[in-house]
Amino acid sequence: MFRLVHAVILGLIGAGVVHIVVLFLMPEMSPRDAWSRLAEDGGLYAMTPYHSDSSLAGQSGVADPYFQAAACRFDLTDGIIHLAQDRAVPFWSASVYDRQGHNIYSLNDRTAQNGLLDLVVLTPGQMVDLRKSPLQEMEQSIFVETPITEGIIVVRGFQPDESWNRQVSEFLGGLDCAAEPI
Amino acid sequence: MIKTVFAVLITLCLAIGGGAASLAYVLDDARGAGALTLGAWTAYPKTGSPEADPYARARTAREGILALGAAEGVAFTAVRDTSGAPLRLDCVYNIEGMAPPGRFWTLFAAVGPEAVKNQSGRPSAINSQNLLRNGEGRYIITVGRRPAPGNWIGVTGEGAMQLVMTVYDSSLSTGTEIGDVSMPEIIQAGCNV
Repeated sequence: MFRLVHAVILGLIGAGVVHIVVLFLMPEMSPRDAWSRLAEDGGLYAMTPYHSDSSLAGQSGVADPYFQAAACRFDLTDGIIHLAQDRAVPFWSASVYDRQGHNIYSLNDRTAQNGLLDLVVLTPGQMVDLRKSPLQEMEQSIFVETPITEGIIVVRGFQPDESWNRQVSEFLGGLDCAAEPI
Repeated sequence: MIKTVFAVLITLCLAIGGGAASLAYVLDDARGAGALTLGAWTAYPKTGSPEADPYARARTAREGILALGAAEGVAFTAVRDTSGAPLRLDCVYNIEGMAPPGRFWTLFAAVGPEAVKNQSGRPSAINSQNLLRNGEGRYIITVGRRPAPGNWIGVTGEGAMQLVMTVYDSSLSTGTEIGDVSMPEIIQAGCNV
Protein backbone atom coordinates (compact mmCIF):
# COMPACT_ATOMS: atom_id res chain seq x y z
CA MET A 1 0.00 0.00 0.00
CA PHE A 2 2.74 2.41 1.01
CA ARG A 3 4.54 1.51 -2.19
CA LEU A 4 1.45 2.38 -4.30
CA VAL A 5 1.01 5.79 -2.64
CA HIS A 6 4.70 6.41 -3.13
CA ALA A 7 4.40 5.53 -6.86
CA VAL A 8 1.37 7.78 -7.35
CA ILE A 9 3.04 10.76 -5.65
CA LEU A 10 6.19 10.27 -7.71
CA GLY A 11 4.03 9.97 -10.84
CA LEU A 12 2.23 13.24 -10.14
CA ILE A 13 5.50 15.08 -9.54
CA GLY A 14 6.78 13.52 -12.76
CA ALA A 15 3.67 14.72 -14.61
CA GLY A 16 4.45 18.29 -13.53
CA VAL A 17 8.03 17.96 -14.72
CA VAL A 18 6.94 16.49 -18.09
CA HIS A 19 4.34 19.28 -18.49
CA ILE A 20 6.94 22.00 -17.98
CA VAL A 21 9.70 20.36 -20.02
CA VAL A 22 7.43 19.72 -23.02
CA LEU A 23 5.99 23.25 -22.73
CA PHE A 24 9.43 24.82 -23.06
CA LEU A 25 10.67 22.37 -25.71
CA MET A 26 7.65 22.80 -27.95
CA PRO A 27 8.68 26.11 -29.61
CA GLU A 28 12.06 24.55 -30.50
CA MET A 29 10.84 21.12 -31.56
CA SER A 30 7.38 21.49 -33.12
CA PRO A 31 7.18 19.79 -36.53
CA ARG A 32 4.04 21.78 -37.31
CA ASP A 33 5.25 25.34 -36.71
CA ALA A 34 4.97 27.97 -39.41
CA TRP A 35 8.58 27.51 -40.55
CA SER A 36 8.13 23.76 -41.12
CA ARG A 37 4.81 24.24 -42.89
CA LEU A 38 6.29 26.84 -45.22
CA ALA A 39 9.28 24.55 -45.88
CA GLU A 40 6.85 22.00 -47.30
CA ASP A 41 5.59 24.53 -49.85
CA GLY A 42 8.80 26.12 -51.04
CA GLY A 43 12.50 26.61 -50.48
CA LEU A 44 14.28 29.46 -48.77
CA TYR A 45 13.62 32.85 -50.43
CA ALA A 46 10.59 31.52 -52.35
CA MET A 47 7.70 33.95 -51.97
CA THR A 48 4.84 31.51 -51.54
CA PRO A 49 1.30 32.77 -52.04
CA TYR A 50 -1.41 31.66 -49.67
CA HIS A 51 -5.09 32.31 -50.12
CA SER A 52 -6.63 30.65 -47.12
CA ASP A 53 -4.02 28.82 -45.15
CA SER A 54 -4.27 28.53 -41.42
CA SER A 55 -0.54 29.00 -40.99
CA LEU A 56 -0.92 32.62 -42.05
CA ALA A 57 -3.97 33.34 -39.97
CA GLY A 58 -4.29 36.02 -37.37
CA GLN A 59 -4.28 35.45 -33.64
CA SER A 60 -7.59 33.66 -34.05
CA GLY A 61 -6.04 30.84 -36.07
CA VAL A 62 -8.46 31.54 -38.95
CA ALA A 63 -7.42 33.29 -42.17
CA ASP A 64 -9.33 36.44 -43.09
CA PRO A 65 -11.23 35.85 -46.38
CA TYR A 66 -10.69 39.50 -47.38
CA PHE A 67 -6.94 39.05 -47.36
CA GLN A 68 -4.35 37.41 -49.55
CA ALA A 69 -0.97 36.74 -48.05
CA ALA A 70 2.44 35.62 -49.21
CA ALA A 71 5.35 34.42 -47.12
CA CYS A 72 9.01 33.64 -47.59
CA ARG A 73 11.66 32.14 -45.34
CA PHE A 74 15.08 33.77 -45.30
CA ASP A 75 18.56 33.27 -43.88
CA LEU A 76 20.51 36.51 -43.47
CA THR A 77 23.88 34.75 -43.53
CA ASP A 78 23.44 34.60 -47.33
CA GLY A 79 22.80 38.34 -47.68
CA ILE A 80 20.22 41.04 -46.98
CA ILE A 81 16.57 40.83 -48.01
CA HIS A 82 15.21 43.78 -49.99
CA LEU A 83 11.46 43.57 -50.55
CA ALA A 84 10.04 46.35 -52.73
CA GLN A 85 6.85 46.86 -54.69
CA ASP A 86 5.78 50.04 -56.50
CA ARG A 87 2.17 48.97 -57.04
CA ALA A 88 -0.54 50.02 -54.61
CA VAL A 89 -3.41 48.09 -53.03
CA PRO A 90 -6.13 49.42 -50.66
CA PHE A 91 -4.12 48.28 -47.64
CA TRP A 92 -1.05 46.18 -47.15
CA SER A 93 0.92 45.17 -44.11
CA ALA A 94 4.15 43.27 -43.65
CA SER A 95 5.66 41.42 -40.71
CA VAL A 96 9.05 39.94 -39.93
CA TYR A 97 8.97 36.80 -37.77
CA ASP A 98 11.81 34.93 -36.14
CA ARG A 99 12.41 31.21 -36.69
CA GLN A 100 9.87 30.32 -33.97
CA GLY A 101 7.13 32.46 -35.53
CA HIS A 102 7.27 35.42 -33.16
CA ASN A 103 6.46 38.75 -34.70
CA ILE A 104 9.51 40.96 -34.25
CA TYR A 105 8.63 43.84 -36.59
CA SER A 106 5.53 44.93 -38.47
CA LEU A 107 4.55 47.85 -40.63
CA ASN A 108 1.68 48.93 -42.88
CA ASP A 109 1.20 51.26 -45.82
CA ARG A 110 0.79 54.31 -43.55
CA THR A 111 4.09 53.70 -41.78
CA ALA A 112 5.91 53.39 -45.13
CA GLN A 113 7.30 56.18 -47.33
CA ASN A 114 4.65 57.26 -49.91
CA GLY A 115 2.61 54.21 -48.92
CA LEU A 116 4.88 51.93 -50.94
CA LEU A 117 6.38 48.69 -49.69
CA ASP A 118 10.18 49.02 -49.56
CA LEU A 119 11.70 46.99 -46.78
CA VAL A 120 15.26 45.87 -46.07
CA VAL A 121 15.90 43.19 -43.47
CA LEU A 122 19.50 42.87 -42.26
CA THR A 123 21.69 42.15 -39.27
CA PRO A 124 23.43 44.99 -37.37
CA GLY A 125 26.74 43.87 -38.92
CA GLN A 126 25.33 44.11 -42.45
CA MET A 127 23.92 47.55 -41.56
CA VAL A 128 27.46 48.76 -40.70
CA ASP A 129 28.74 47.41 -44.03
CA LEU A 130 25.88 49.04 -45.91
CA ARG A 131 26.50 52.44 -44.27
CA LYS A 132 30.03 52.44 -45.68
CA SER A 133 28.71 52.31 -49.25
CA PRO A 134 25.03 53.30 -49.30
CA LEU A 135 23.10 52.02 -52.29
CA GLN A 136 21.02 54.47 -54.29
CA GLU A 137 18.14 52.05 -54.67
CA MET A 138 17.72 51.86 -50.89
CA GLU A 139 17.39 55.59 -50.20
CA GLN A 140 13.67 55.29 -49.50
CA SER A 141 13.78 51.94 -47.76
CA ILE A 142 12.74 51.12 -44.22
CA PHE A 143 15.58 49.20 -42.57
CA VAL A 144 14.76 46.43 -40.13
CA GLU A 145 17.86 45.58 -38.11
CA THR A 146 17.48 42.26 -36.40
CA PRO A 147 19.78 40.01 -34.41
CA ILE A 148 18.16 36.91 -35.94
CA THR A 149 19.51 35.20 -39.05
CA GLU A 150 16.71 32.82 -39.96
CA GLY A 151 13.21 34.23 -40.19
CA ILE A 152 9.99 34.63 -42.13
CA ILE A 153 8.53 37.65 -43.92
CA VAL A 154 4.78 37.79 -44.50
CA VAL A 155 3.06 40.40 -46.67
CA ARG A 156 -0.71 40.70 -46.48
CA GLY A 157 -2.94 42.56 -48.95
CA PHE A 158 -6.55 43.66 -48.40
CA GLN A 159 -9.16 43.03 -51.11
CA PRO A 160 -12.36 44.92 -50.11
CA ASP A 161 -14.29 43.04 -52.81
CA GLU A 162 -13.63 40.48 -55.52
CA SER A 163 -12.73 43.08 -58.16
CA TRP A 164 -9.46 43.58 -56.26
CA ASN A 165 -8.38 39.93 -56.36
CA ARG A 166 -6.18 40.35 -59.42
CA GLN A 167 -4.47 43.55 -58.23
CA VAL A 168 -3.69 42.01 -54.86
CA SER A 169 -2.31 38.78 -56.34
CA GLU A 170 -0.14 40.81 -58.73
CA PHE A 171 1.04 42.92 -55.79
CA LEU A 172 2.07 39.83 -53.86
CA GLY A 173 3.29 37.90 -56.90
CA GLY A 174 5.67 40.72 -57.86
CA LEU A 175 7.61 40.51 -54.59
CA ASP A 176 11.14 39.16 -54.84
CA CYS A 177 12.52 37.82 -51.59
CA ALA A 178 16.00 36.81 -52.84
CA ALA A 179 19.04 37.38 -50.62
CA GLU A 180 21.34 40.12 -51.93
CA PRO A 181 24.99 39.91 -50.91
CA ILE A 182 26.62 43.20 -49.95
CA MET B 1 10.11 -7.80 -7.60
CA ILE B 2 6.81 -7.72 -9.47
CA LYS B 3 5.55 -5.11 -7.04
CA THR B 4 8.53 -2.90 -7.82
CA VAL B 5 8.01 -3.21 -11.58
CA PHE B 6 4.34 -2.42 -11.09
CA ALA B 7 5.12 0.68 -9.01
CA VAL B 8 7.62 1.95 -11.57
CA LEU B 9 5.07 1.41 -14.36
CA ILE B 10 2.43 3.40 -12.46
CA THR B 11 4.89 6.22 -11.86
CA LEU B 12 5.94 6.37 -15.52
CA CYS B 13 2.38 6.18 -16.90
CA LEU B 14 1.20 8.93 -14.54
CA ALA B 15 4.18 11.15 -15.30
CA ILE B 16 4.15 10.86 -19.08
CA GLY B 17 0.39 10.50 -19.59
CA GLY B 18 -0.54 13.11 -17.00
CA GLY B 19 2.05 15.60 -18.17
CA ALA B 20 1.09 15.29 -21.84
CA ALA B 21 -2.67 15.32 -21.17
CA SER B 22 -2.56 18.34 -18.87
CA LEU B 23 -0.46 20.31 -21.37
CA ALA B 24 -2.74 19.36 -24.29
CA TYR B 25 -5.75 20.44 -22.23
CA VAL B 26 -4.27 23.81 -21.34
CA LEU B 27 -3.18 24.49 -24.95
CA ASP B 28 -6.52 23.47 -26.45
CA ASP B 29 -9.04 24.89 -24.05
CA ALA B 30 -7.74 27.32 -21.49
CA ARG B 31 -6.93 30.53 -23.27
CA GLY B 32 -6.64 32.79 -20.25
CA ALA B 33 -3.28 34.49 -20.19
CA GLY B 34 -2.86 37.76 -22.03
CA ALA B 35 -6.52 37.93 -23.08
CA LEU B 36 -8.18 41.25 -23.89
CA THR B 37 -11.92 40.83 -23.37
CA LEU B 38 -14.46 43.42 -24.55
CA GLY B 39 -18.05 42.23 -24.11
CA ALA B 40 -18.49 38.98 -26.03
CA TRP B 41 -15.18 39.47 -27.86
CA THR B 42 -11.73 38.23 -26.89
CA ALA B 43 -8.37 39.01 -28.46
CA TYR B 44 -4.81 37.97 -27.67
CA PRO B 45 -2.69 40.93 -28.74
CA LYS B 46 0.45 39.48 -27.12
CA THR B 47 0.25 36.05 -28.82
CA GLY B 48 3.00 35.77 -31.36
CA SER B 49 4.94 38.70 -29.95
CA PRO B 50 8.28 38.24 -28.17
CA GLU B 51 6.58 39.15 -24.84
CA ALA B 52 4.17 36.20 -25.11
CA ASP B 53 3.95 33.83 -22.14
CA PRO B 54 5.28 30.24 -22.47
CA TYR B 55 1.81 28.81 -23.17
CA ALA B 56 1.19 31.30 -25.98
CA ARG B 57 4.65 30.48 -27.37
CA ALA B 58 3.90 26.75 -27.33
CA ARG B 59 0.53 27.38 -28.99
CA THR B 60 2.16 29.52 -31.70
CA ALA B 61 4.56 26.67 -32.49
CA ARG B 62 1.98 23.90 -32.28
CA GLU B 63 -0.63 25.58 -34.46
CA GLY B 64 1.83 27.16 -36.88
CA ILE B 65 0.41 30.62 -36.29
CA LEU B 66 2.00 33.70 -37.79
CA ALA B 67 0.11 36.25 -35.70
CA LEU B 68 -0.72 39.75 -36.87
CA GLY B 69 1.86 42.30 -35.76
CA ALA B 70 1.16 45.44 -33.76
CA ALA B 71 1.12 47.61 -36.91
CA GLU B 72 -1.16 45.16 -38.73
CA GLY B 73 -4.21 44.57 -36.58
CA VAL B 74 -5.99 42.72 -33.79
CA ALA B 75 -8.31 39.74 -34.31
CA PHE B 76 -11.22 39.41 -31.88
CA THR B 77 -13.17 36.19 -31.70
CA ALA B 78 -16.56 35.52 -30.14
CA VAL B 79 -17.86 32.03 -29.41
CA ARG B 80 -20.82 33.25 -27.31
CA ASP B 81 -23.43 35.97 -27.79
CA THR B 82 -23.79 38.93 -25.42
CA SER B 83 -26.11 36.92 -23.14
CA GLY B 84 -23.54 34.12 -22.85
CA ALA B 85 -25.20 31.45 -25.04
CA PRO B 86 -22.93 29.62 -27.54
CA LEU B 87 -23.11 30.93 -31.13
CA ARG B 88 -24.88 28.55 -33.51
CA LEU B 89 -25.18 28.45 -37.29
CA ASP B 90 -28.92 27.76 -37.08
CA CYS B 91 -29.67 30.89 -35.03
CA VAL B 92 -30.09 34.49 -36.17
CA TYR B 93 -27.92 37.17 -34.58
CA ASN B 94 -27.98 40.93 -34.80
CA ILE B 95 -24.56 42.47 -34.39
CA GLU B 96 -24.88 46.14 -33.56
CA GLY B 97 -22.83 48.93 -32.17
CA MET B 98 -20.08 51.31 -33.09
CA ALA B 99 -17.02 50.66 -35.15
CA PRO B 100 -13.97 49.80 -33.06
CA PRO B 101 -11.06 52.22 -33.51
CA GLY B 102 -8.94 51.33 -36.52
CA ARG B 103 -8.68 52.09 -40.20
CA PHE B 104 -11.11 49.37 -41.24
CA TRP B 105 -12.35 46.00 -40.03
CA THR B 106 -13.58 42.68 -41.35
CA LEU B 107 -16.08 40.30 -39.81
CA PHE B 108 -16.64 36.67 -40.75
CA ALA B 109 -18.16 33.47 -39.42
CA ALA B 110 -15.90 30.44 -38.98
CA VAL B 111 -16.10 26.82 -37.91
CA GLY B 112 -12.74 25.47 -36.74
CA PRO B 113 -9.98 26.91 -38.91
CA GLU B 114 -12.22 27.57 -41.93
CA ALA B 115 -14.46 30.50 -42.82
CA VAL B 116 -18.10 29.41 -43.30
CA LYS B 117 -19.45 29.58 -46.86
CA ASN B 118 -22.64 31.48 -47.65
CA GLN B 119 -25.50 30.42 -49.95
CA SER B 120 -23.54 31.32 -53.10
CA GLY B 121 -20.40 29.49 -51.97
CA ARG B 122 -18.46 32.61 -50.99
CA PRO B 123 -17.08 33.22 -47.50
CA SER B 124 -19.65 34.39 -44.94
CA ALA B 125 -18.06 37.78 -44.39
CA ILE B 126 -18.50 41.54 -44.43
CA ASN B 127 -16.08 44.44 -44.07
CA SER B 128 -16.43 48.06 -43.03
CA GLN B 129 -16.01 49.24 -46.63
CA ASN B 130 -19.08 47.46 -47.98
CA LEU B 131 -21.25 48.12 -44.93
CA LEU B 132 -24.48 50.13 -44.72
CA ARG B 133 -24.63 52.42 -41.68
CA ASN B 134 -27.00 54.98 -40.31
CA GLY B 135 -26.02 58.64 -39.94
CA GLU B 136 -24.31 58.21 -36.57
CA GLY B 137 -21.81 55.59 -37.68
CA ARG B 138 -23.79 52.77 -36.03
CA TYR B 139 -24.67 49.65 -37.91
CA ILE B 140 -26.64 46.43 -37.60
CA ILE B 141 -25.41 43.22 -39.23
CA THR B 142 -27.68 40.19 -39.36
CA VAL B 143 -26.03 36.77 -39.29
CA GLY B 144 -28.25 33.87 -40.26
CA ARG B 145 -29.26 31.34 -42.88
CA ARG B 146 -32.28 33.31 -44.20
CA PRO B 147 -31.66 36.48 -46.26
CA ALA B 148 -32.18 39.67 -44.25
CA PRO B 149 -32.50 43.30 -45.36
CA GLY B 150 -29.57 45.64 -44.82
CA ASN B 151 -26.24 44.10 -43.84
CA TRP B 152 -26.49 40.34 -44.01
CA ILE B 153 -23.87 37.64 -43.46
CA GLY B 154 -25.35 34.49 -44.90
CA VAL B 155 -24.24 31.23 -43.33
CA THR B 156 -24.99 27.60 -44.11
CA GLY B 157 -24.88 24.43 -42.06
CA GLU B 158 -25.57 23.84 -38.41
CA GLY B 159 -23.74 23.47 -35.12
CA ALA B 160 -21.39 25.76 -33.26
CA MET B 161 -19.60 28.65 -34.93
CA GLN B 162 -17.39 31.55 -33.99
CA LEU B 163 -17.36 35.11 -35.22
CA VAL B 164 -14.03 36.76 -35.99
CA MET B 165 -13.76 40.55 -36.14
CA THR B 166 -10.34 41.83 -37.14
CA VAL B 167 -9.53 45.51 -36.73
CA TYR B 168 -6.68 46.62 -38.96
CA ASP B 169 -4.19 49.42 -38.26
CA SER B 170 -5.68 49.83 -34.82
CA SER B 171 -4.48 51.51 -31.65
CA LEU B 172 -5.91 48.50 -29.78
CA SER B 173 -2.90 46.36 -30.67
CA THR B 174 -0.56 48.60 -28.70
CA GLY B 175 -2.75 48.20 -25.63
CA THR B 176 -3.77 51.85 -25.32
CA GLU B 177 -7.29 53.32 -25.36
CA ILE B 178 -8.88 50.10 -24.15
CA GLY B 179 -10.95 51.78 -21.44
CA ASP B 180 -13.38 53.63 -23.68
CA VAL B 181 -13.57 51.08 -26.49
CA SER B 182 -16.78 49.18 -27.07
CA MET B 183 -17.07 46.26 -29.42
CA PRO B 184 -20.45 45.56 -31.04
CA GLU B 185 -23.05 43.50 -29.17
CA ILE B 186 -24.19 40.11 -30.50
CA ILE B 187 -27.91 39.74 -29.83
CA GLN B 188 -29.70 36.50 -30.60
CA ALA B 189 -32.97 36.94 -32.50
CA GLY B 190 -34.38 33.44 -32.75
CA CYS B 191 -33.20 29.95 -33.58
CA ASN B 192 -34.04 27.09 -35.97
CA VAL B 193 -34.75 29.42 -38.86
